Amino acid sequence: MTKTLKSLLAAVACAVALPNAAAAESATIQAIKDRGTLLCSGHNGSYFGFVEVNDKNEWKGLDIDLCRAMTTAILGDPNKAQIVPLSWAQRFPALQSGDVDIIIKATGWTMGRDTELGLQFSLPYFFGGAQLMAHADLGVTQATELEGGTVCVEAGTTIERIVADYMKTIDVEHTMVSYEKAAELRAAYLANRCDAFAAWGPFLAVLRATEIDNPDKHVILSDQLSSEPIAAAMRQGDEDFVDLTNWMIAALLIAEEHGITMANVDEVAANPPNPTVARLLGSTPGIGERLGLRDTWAREMIAAVGNFGEIYHRNLGENSPYKLERGLNNLWSHGGLLYAPMLD
Amino acid sequence: MAEASLAPPAVDRGPLAWARRRLFSSWLDGLVTLGFGAFVLWVFFEALDWAVLGAVWSLEDKELCAPGGGACWSVIEARGRLILFGLYPFEQHWRSTLACLVIVLTMGLSCVPRFWGVRRLPLLWLAGFGGFMLLMYGGVFGLSVVTTEQWGGLSLTVLIFASVVVIGMPLSVLLALARRSDMPVIRGVAGGIIDVVRSLPLLTILFAAAVVVPFVVPDWAQGDKLVRVILAFAVFFACYQAEIIRAGLQAIPPGQEEAAMALGMKYWRRVIDILLPQAFRSSLPATINQFVITFKETSIVTIIGFFEIMASGNAAVGTGDWAGQFIEVYVFVGAIYFCFVFGLSRYGAYLERRARLGQA
Repeated sequence: MTKTLKSLLAAVACAVALPNAAAAESATIQAIKDRGTLLCSGHNGSYFGFVEVNDKNEWKGLDIDLCRAMTTAILGDPNKAQIVPLSWAQRFPALQSGDVDIIIKATGWTMGRDTELGLQFSLPYFFGGAQLMAHADLGVTQATELEGGTVCVEAGTTIERIVADYMKTIDVEHTMVSYEKAAELRAAYLANRCDAFAAWGPFLAVLRATEIDNPDKHVILSDQLSSEPIAAAMRQGDEDFVDLTNWMIAALLIAEEHGITMANVDEVAANPPNPTVARLLGSTPGIGERLGLRDTWAREMIAAVGNFGEIYHRNLGENSPYKLERGLNNLWSHGGLLYAPMLD
Repeated sequence: MAEASLAPPAVDRGPLAWARRRLFSSWLDGLVTLGFGAFVLWVFFEALDWAVLGAVWSLEDKELCAPGGGACWSVIEARGRLILFGLYPFEQHWRSTLACLVIVLTMGLSCVPRFWGVRRLPLLWLAGFGGFMLLMYGGVFGLSVVTTEQWGGLSLTVLIFASVVVIGMPLSVLLALARRSDMPVIRGVAGGIIDVVRSLPLLTILFAAAVVVPFVVPDWAQGDKLVRVILAFAVFFACYQAEIIRAGLQAIPPGQEEAAMALGMKYWRRVIDILLPQAFRSSLPATINQFVITFKETSIVTIIGFFEIMASGNAAVGTGDWAGQFIEVYVFVGAIYFCFVFGLSRYGAYLERRARLGQA
């Protein structure tokens, strides 16, 4: 009896709350507007391509650009992003204590973080996983050919376990050598003490492109040992804020799909080629109200940082020192995994 | 007798004779000297070749930098301001520079015996910290506000070191005196604090101050993260330093204090005029040691997201264009540390000479 009553009450409460849900502002967004800045996670140093500091002592990188995109969406000005330097260990407590509003910091979506740490994740905006790099003169192209070889990894990382599991699955005998520091590991590999080097894929590509005198002497093996979805993390319990983050990422992807760039966004908005673009850029009103924002938020955001492809190329791809291929991180229509929900 | 025809004693002076006596007194000695000398020369020339002869000096010649070649000092030209100033806004670097100079000057002045007064020293440091805050934080005289999150590089390292020592030293004297007190409660509490804090790692203490405090303390009482971290660091420093000072106090023969008591001197007079001057003198080497350790330990604050000079050095090489130049950056940062620590050691040696003169 009481159970029925409770569910009835809940249903009534839902019905009453529902019409307001779209317009109601999340506590987080309200706090951001009151404060006038969005607090994002930085790093206590640099993380290649994702979070870096440029020669003018300013933050840059893929994650930083996403933060600036989000700031533009909420506050209309990318410069109102406030980047709080955080170490890896510090990021989750800092989010919970309110030192930052959101973590966009090459952070993988795992079950433990989703449940035990009380976080909520956005759509993945990047896919990276453990891969192997080997000396090219060994003539190896895939992990099965590493039989009897030596693989170096950084001690105490998830990579160590992933490599062990993977090599066991494909039944390849090997010797694993762990190093405490990334720099030692790099030096050991370059000094030919290991045949292969296991690390996060983008990190290997960056290393191969920048720190090695002749990149052609090293190959990244085709095996994808793992694939980790990288997503923005937020505090549990503010669905409207998660919605906003998801649609921020979605808008960047949809913009790329339709060829809307930093340069042509105003032109396209004045003359939208199809209804989806018209809705996205606010030429047909509606996109703002549903999220409690201005109708032009996506347009302003693209004008400020560009679409997802532009952000990628600026920080990791062809316009960066890393020249990282899009690969999995391309739109689904170009053979990648990035996928935006429907904008109806 | 043939006494008059005895040969004069062999001349055993001059560099050649010294070398024969000290470096080549036997075959083995000579071999060791030659081998070791060759090794030292080799290391010296390798280092010289890397750092000077084969080095690339300017940013325009960046293309000449090759892995395995000489040092590529272009990285310092391109990223030096990042290393020295961290995330401090680019156009405001003069403020950070001045603020750093203010603190260094204050440190320098407080090393001069003329400023060692119960009134002068606190006033000096008040002025020093005041000037630093004014310049770094701004908000007055048309200076834009720069929040502590953006502070970084050398001025942050120097600020943390100076404030930890300035807050920690008086605290350590109080703790040391309390631990020797006749009153059991005070003695117990001081002993408890020292033993508990010393058995925790510095990293844990700083992490708790920066990350845990916001969960357990209400908003209005939290204060700035940097202030919390400095206070926690100062307490940690004080607990170690208190034991050093206590050792100095114990080295004083008890007869001195008894004599002072017999003369009717009050507690604080005895402490200030009799005990502390002697305790400081005998604990000086260990104190300088503690200062040096503290200066180097400031780099731990990077783990709670502060851009002190080591972290900004890491940020400087964490970009595709300069990823290969980490040795150059470490050498640069190391040289800065060396200047400060070596200065401290020399100052310690000066104080010891001075104390000996006073005793003689």
